[in-house]
Amino acid sequence: MINLRNVRKFYGALEVIKGVDITVEDGEFAVFVGPSGCGKSTLLRMIAGLEGIDDGDLILNGKRINDVPPDKRGIAMVFQSYALYPHMTVAENIGFSLSLKKVPIAEINRQVGEVAEILQLTDYLDRRPAALSGGQRQRVAIGRAIIKKPSLILFDEPLSNLDSALRVQMRAELQRLHRELKATVVYVTHDQVEAMTMADRIVVLNKGIVAQSGHPMDLYHSPDNEFVATFIGSPKMNILPVMLSRPEAGKLRLENAMGLSISLADGDASVATGEAKLGIRPEHLKVSQDGQGDFSAEVVIVERLGVETYLAVGSPKDPIVVRAEGDLSIRPGDRVSLTVDLSACHLFDSNGRVIRRPQTL
Amino acid sequence: MTDFVLARPGKSRRPDLLAYAALSLISAFCAVPFFWVLLASLDGNAQLFLSWPREWTLNNYVRVFAEEDGARWVFNSLFVVGSATLLVMVLAGLGGYALSRTRAWWKQPFLYAILLIRVLPPTALVVPLYKILLTLNNIEGNLVRIFFGGDTARAIMRWIGFIDGYLGLILVLATMQLPLALWIMKTFFDGLPRDYEEAAVMDGATMLQRIRRVLIPLALPGLAAAGLFAFISAWGDFLLPLILLSSPELQTLPLGLFRAFLRVNTIDYGFLAALAFIYLMPAVIAFGFARRFLVQTFSGGVKG
Ligand SMILES: Nc1ncnc2c1ncn2[C@@H]1O[C@H](COP(=O)(O)OP(=O)(O)O)[C@@H](O)[C@H]1O
Ligand SMILES: [Mg+2]
Repeated sequence: MINLRNVRKFYGALEVIKGVDITVEDGEFAVFVGPSGCGKSTLLRMIAGLEGIDDGDLILNGKRINDVPPDKRGIAMVFQSYALYPHMTVAENIGFSLSLKKVPIAEINRQVGEVAEILQLTDYLDRRPAALSGGQRQRVAIGRAIIKKPSLILFDEPLSNLDSALRVQMRAELQRLHRELKATVVYVTHDQVEAMTMADRIVVLNKGIVAQSGHPMDLYHSPDNEFVATFIGSPKMNILPVMLSRPEAGKLRLENAMGLSISLADGDASVATGEAKLGIRPEHLKVSQDGQGDFSAEVVIVERLGVETYLAVGSPKDPIVVRAEGDLSIRPGDRVSLTVDLSACHLFDSNGRVIRRPQTL
Repeated sequence: MTDFVLARPGKSRRPDLLAYAALSLISAFCAVPFFWVLLASLDGNAQLFLSWPREWTLNNYVRVFAEEDGARWVFNSLFVVGSATLLVMVLAGLGGYALSRTRAWWKQPFLYAILLIRVLPPTALVVPLYKILLTLNNIEGNLVRIFFGGDTARAIMRWIGFIDGYLGLILVLATMQLPLALWIMKTFFDGLPRDYEEAAVMDGATMLQRIRRVLIPLALPGLAAAGLFAFISAWGDFLLPLILLSSPELQTLPLGLFRAFLRVNTIDYGFLAALAFIYLMPAVIAFGFARRFLVQTFSGGVKG
């Protein structure tokens, strides 16, 4: 189990990791996800020991390892560039850490053989990395990590050098490996699809802080804030600026500039009135052509995929995206009326914090 | 070339032929001097103008080594230039790495400043350089004489003296070659991802293991290129040995060649050509060795 407690990192005066708390359980596949520059790599390198930790505690299996050197932490890392040594064969690359420790050759060969078996690299052991395909290089890089029998394996955007078809294949491959090795994995990516498909636990990072952490479906269905709501899920959640008012006790009125006007039960009257944001995923807006919806808007873009149709409606600059089942024969310029599925809506305050989750609206 | 041919199958022959003709002409132009020197060196009666030898002989080469101090000159040249090259490779390897990895503010100014050494004509610097080296040499000589007797001291100074000693010439030659080598190595390391070293750190490699088993093998193409340039350029240097060396035992090949040319009686072209050909060989051989690395270095370095 790995624990980060209020961990911070400064580059000069610039604080890039601003007090992060994360726990990853044994055997979990944890994915750190966030936009480029949010500090994912920095955080991973701090766990690996390649960057110092300026404040807070890093605890691995109950032991504080802030000041333990990288090779003594029992942590292995797979680099984005793979960092395979071009002057060594696959076998030498995989066995490098053992040969540094002066393990007898026969023992190195045995362990390299075992690892190669797991990774289906047995036939390539005598090749140089330059003579391997992208996927094979990736597997060699993983082999170099798992031969150390680490209690934690770190991956930094390992699939970003592969083309999209291979990426899908390697995603499945990595999950299979994770199941077989029962290893604890921390995996960094900027791609939320990778995060959603592979993670047991997602940690969403934004500007050096944890925006939210949890099971992928919890984050999808119940985001804590606007950032997570729009980051997780594709196409992303629509955010509509709305005005909240309380026309009478026990009722909350929600209006926007497009003519949307809904009444909600106010519950405990804890919600402040004024500006707020309504979050609706594209699949929770229903197109009705009879004019009976909650509001109507002009269609700007239509994408017909056959099994489903995506409409962009409203202002061309900042449109609302609607996902409709089947093939709709709507054209740009048409006016459609839309119904909001209130049971699936999220309400955020003007700072983006969630104030009403689905089902409670 | 192949793309060109495929794209325009009908017209391919003429431009191809033209290109080959032009290239052949240029190669011939470059090769003629070598050929000339080789022919003249094998001619028993070589003259100023090139002619087909009427009697073939190796006598000119024999004389370089038997009558003159040829072997000594070859050794001196190889030793001095080889040591300077080795020194340049070590310093450029370490310095290029540091310059590539540092974020210090003085990095750019420093890199441009050292190029000055290369840009200024050495002839202009000879007088102050000689003065400094002479002062150092005198101090060093006095110290050595305190610890050893006069004769031993003279023998020692031949190796470590700054003037009329191997060490001084080696240091000055290395200094002249270092800036370019540093630039080559800095650029080379810039293209080498840090991941390689960090992966080695994660695997538990000590600093020495990292240098020996990861960095040096990865840097080899760059080091070979830097070493090659240093060797060829230092090998061709004439001015510095001329000024810094005076003892006959320390003469290098270009000095031997120069002095043979200045002999009072008639100029012996056969002998000069043989000496010149011997002088050419190491540079050509060095180029042959390093060509492989050069292509790698200047076509994108190591791809992992
Ligand atoms: N060595 C460094 N010196 C200064 N700033 C850095 C350094 N490394 C990273 N940064 C900054 O820290 C922030 C986080 O970087 P990084 O962890 O690489 O982001 P990510 O991997 O999420 O894209 C970025 O703004 C980056 O510019
Ligand atoms: Mg990164």
